Amino acid sequence: MKAPGTALRWLAAAIVLANGCFPALWILATSFKSEVELTARPITYWPRDPVIANYVAAFRDQPLPTYLLNSAAVALLSMALSLTIASLAAYAIARLELPRRRLVLTGIVAVSMFPLVTLMVPLFDIMRGLGLLNTYWALVFPYAVLSLPVCTLVLVSFFQEIPRDLENAAMIDGCTRVGALFRVVVPLAAPGVFTAGTLAFVNSWDEFLLALSMNSAVAYRTLPVGIQMYQGEFSFPWPTISAALVIGMVPVVIVILLFQERVVSGLTAGGLKG
Amino acid sequence: MSRRLRDRILDPPEHVLAWALLAPALLLVLAVVAWPVARLFANSVMDVRLSQGLPVRFVGLDNYAAVLADPLFWRSVRNTMVIVIATVPGALVVGLALALLANLPFRTRGPIRLALLLPWATPLAFTGLIFAWFFHSEYGLVNDLLARVGAGPRIWFNSPGLTLAAICMATIWKTSSFMALILLAGLQTIPASLYEAAEVDGASRWTQFREITLPMLVPSMLVALIFRTLTAIQSFDIPVSMPGPGEETATLAMYIQQQAVDYLDLGYGSALAVFMFALSMAITSVYLRYVRGGGR
Repeated sequence: MKAPGTALRWLAAAIVLANGCFPALWILATSFKSEVELTARPITYWPRDPVIANYVAAFRDQPLPTYLLNSAAVALLSMALSLTIASLAAYAIARLELPRRRLVLTGIVAVSMFPLVTLMVPLFDIMRGLGLLNTYWALVFPYAVLSLPVCTLVLVSFFQEIPRDLENAAMIDGCTRVGALFRVVVPLAAPGVFTAGTLAFVNSWDEFLLALSMNSAVAYRTLPVGIQMYQGEFSFPWPTISAALVIGMVPVVIVILLFQERVVSGLTAGGLKG
Repeated sequence: MSRRLRDRILDPPEHVLAWALLAPALLLVLAVVAWPVARLFANSVMDVRLSQGLPVRFVGLDNYAAVLADPLFWRSVRNTMVIVIATVPGALVVGLALALLANLPFRTRGPIRLALLLPWATPLAFTGLIFAWFFHSEYGLVNDLLARVGAGPRIWFNSPGLTLAAICMATIWKTSSFMALILLAGLQTIPASLYEAAEVDGASRWTQFREITLPMLVPSMLVALIFRTLTAIQSFDIPVSMPGPGEETATLAMYIQQQAVDYLDLGYGSALAVFMFALSMAITSVYLRYVRGGGR
């Protein structure tokens, strides 16, 4: 196609940037407005008198560090579990003589299409029976399964690109196959491991339904659940909620800033979830 | 342990090793998916009301009959369908527009890519809260903009219709950027030579779009649409964060969660969840038929 003019390109960039960033920027602006400014009419777009009182309130009104810690613990544990199990499975699929390879792949896609809402009901029942409600494990295991398909598919595509010679050389030097997997293949597939890990982390960090159903006790609430708790029955302290939202967005923004190219390639390779 | 035995364990025949490596994944799926699903079907034909402390008893298809006769079930299905019908095509159209804009030849792609990733990475529950604030009746941005063009303010969350409209807009914003990323990857696989040939033939831009771009994008669009539909029927986070009057705008997922978790009625909740299961299996089978038909 003929290259469009510079003006059109700037306009296109402006539209895409505004669409993606505006809600986050609006919340950022709101988080610096005082209660007085917030309830002034007409509304102001940019804070006239920036205050940090809302951030203080965000930490005072709810145990925000606990929520952040719980979210991080659950996301990191489930990510580690998912990556370990997925790299073993992906190696078998990508490298070994595997009868019924197609069936295995179809099974993985089928798991990824399974509705979480349906799973939530019996999982709640089972976790309740095992006394695991309000523990990290009630979320770590389901989240690991949630990310298992996309991690496996991403890792399969990365493993397939590693030359077999390197692995064979390691085995001639006395490594076993499993040893070669963890000493040669996984390190060489590091970009793939980062990609899969990032997707798994974001999946868990964002999850709300299971977190709300399984872990209702304050000490085990994750951030998406905790952030809903600022509202009282009749009050919506919007400036405080905005400050808490900004804090909750920080880890996500860091992750996508660091890994943006990998995330895009992983999303399109896995072609899953959304 | 003798050295030979050790070697046999550490270096087994290939297909044995393959299944051994797959075993942890299979075990996890059995424990967290297969067993719960069996439990789900078992509970759906039982009376399991944990809050009442009554003994669990077999009731056959009573729960299913009760679901079909339950107006709240049908209301939640209707709300869910409104969200599906509005947001699946909505996200496709917005996502396609974003993908076409992002595919223009920019010198640096970083900021554009970040702008497409940010909505994808924003938790759904955050998105719901952010949009609830946009649609706030007194201090919200939307009513402020409406006032600027001379329209009166709306009390969005007092009317089920307006609440659903706001929920749909939030959902489209959140999901269209993922759609755009998938379609952008599709766009980048279209060979430039096709456009050059069309250019030589004097085809207009619109013709090029209709005759080259759209047909070439069909496979990626179908895959994206199926996954979007599967997540849309499970809409929960955004509608929960943007409550309308009473429970008028509850979705099927919200109704299931309320019955099973809040009211601890696991029998009824399981029967409801089976309906959700059937719905998504129907959509999945369409997808699998398409994949087996050699699409993609």
